[in-house]
Amino acid sequence: MQAPSSSMQLLRWFVFSLVLLVPVAAVQAEDDFLSEEDLYGDFEEEAVFAVSDPLESINRATFKFNDFVYVKVMQPISNGYQKVTPDPVEKGASNFFANLGYPVRLVGNLLQLELKGAWLETERFAVNTTLGIVGVRRAAAQFERLQPRQPEDVGLAFGAWGIGDGPYLVLPFLGPSNCRDLVGLVGDRAVNPLKSPYSVIEEYQWQLALDATEVIVKSPTLLDIYMQLKDGAIDPYSAMKNGYAQKRRSMIEEE
Amino acid sequence: MKIWMIIAGLAFCLAAPLYSQEGEADKLNNAMSAALDVLYLDAYQEYSYEQRQAAVKVLLEDNYDLTVIIRRALARNWRLMSAQEQVRVTDLIERLIVKAYIEGMAGQERPEIDCGKTIEITDKRIEIPVVIRFPSGKIFNVVYRLGRLQSGWQIYDIVGEDISMVSNYRQQFDDHFRKGNGQELIEKLEDLLNKGELDASTKL
Repeated sequence: MQAPSSSMQLLRWFVFSLVLLVPVAAVQAEDDFLSEEDLYGDFEEEAVFAVSDPLESINRATFKFNDFVYVKVMQPISNGYQKVTPDPVEKGASNFFANLGYPVRLVGNLLQLELKGAWLETERFAVNTTLGIVGVRRAAAQFERLQPRQPEDVGLAFGAWGIGDGPYLVLPFLGPSNCRDLVGLVGDRAVNPLKSPYSVIEEYQWQLALDATEVIVKSPTLLDIYMQLKDGAIDPYSAMKNGYAQKRRSMIEEE
Repeated sequence: MKIWMIIAGLAFCLAAPLYSQEGEADKLNNAMSAALDVLYLDAYQEYSYEQRQAAVKVLLEDNYDLTVIIRRALARNWRLMSAQEQVRVTDLIERLIVKAYIEGMAGQERPEIDCGKTIEITDKRIEIPVVIRFPSGKIFNVVYRLGRLQSGWQIYDIVGEDISMVSNYRQQFDDHFRKGNGQELIEKLEDLLNKGELDASTKL
């Protein structure tokens, strides 16, 4: 009997492979793509992402009030500030106030027993305050070991302890929050020696001047974030509510 | 020899879908760069606002099926609308996304786009991290989530600075449909599209 030629062998292999592979490919074709249910069904985190909002009508009214204040009052002040202030000065002022937030970040870390984070914040504060001339320059950024971590606060620490968001709140002037973060905000102020009620600044007018300056210095960044979330939104109130909740939950999960 | 060839053939057949995602980061990068070109290249300087909108919309549609992300954002509310309303809402949202993009970039210098390495979540889902750097120093971290569909890899969510676009819009649609309907949504979207348009001569 004559042995099959090599071309015959190749043809057999080809036919055999085809017979074997076509069903495999067919089965695979179905499994390889996301199904309608996968894509459009009630699934994943978006479906379960709920924000409790029992005070919606009050919140919406406060949101409207805040929107007026931000757009009609703060925006012109912020634009004016940016116009008259050279970029390096603007940056220096922003760094200065960010540095003053150290006690809040420290306590936020300590409440979560994040000793490494607390120590890093302390080192950064020391370097920025000394080499960075009272925090105007971000001197710590020059050291690889002292790169900033996610800023902590008391509300985030409560979240890390497992305390839920609670009802969503819109605070006059301050904007989106929730019950947990409102209590956290009181804690943030209590541990900050430059904020009332336990401020080391005794003169009322100096306290007011410091607070007002801080608001103006931070306003370009805050308004930028606000406008980004608002632009393109079908319902700016809902967009802000969801955006705030998502951001805070992600910060808590990252810890 | 035959067995070896069959195994190799099988391995290729099974592995091919995994490898096919490799060009997705480049595709995304090219689509984003092309959309920026419409706003920043001299060749488009004479374009009116409407022409720019149309050019960006065509670019997006050529590269991705935006219906996927819009339908995902609408979720269960999709079924509360008639077929005509679904088509109209999809078109209006597409235009709103383009409008928000063009207006959001107004006054900004052209940013740099840096597409990171594709992360495979499953064989049907991938993520592409993108860093958008503006000359002013602002940096945005965005993650594009893509799913493998019969029509190719499609964007099913965009997560900017930890905020999912689908989840954010879903909240807005859920809140709307608690009291409103499809027709009211169409009216709302039309209002949004008609108000505060940039002047045709606005330079970006």
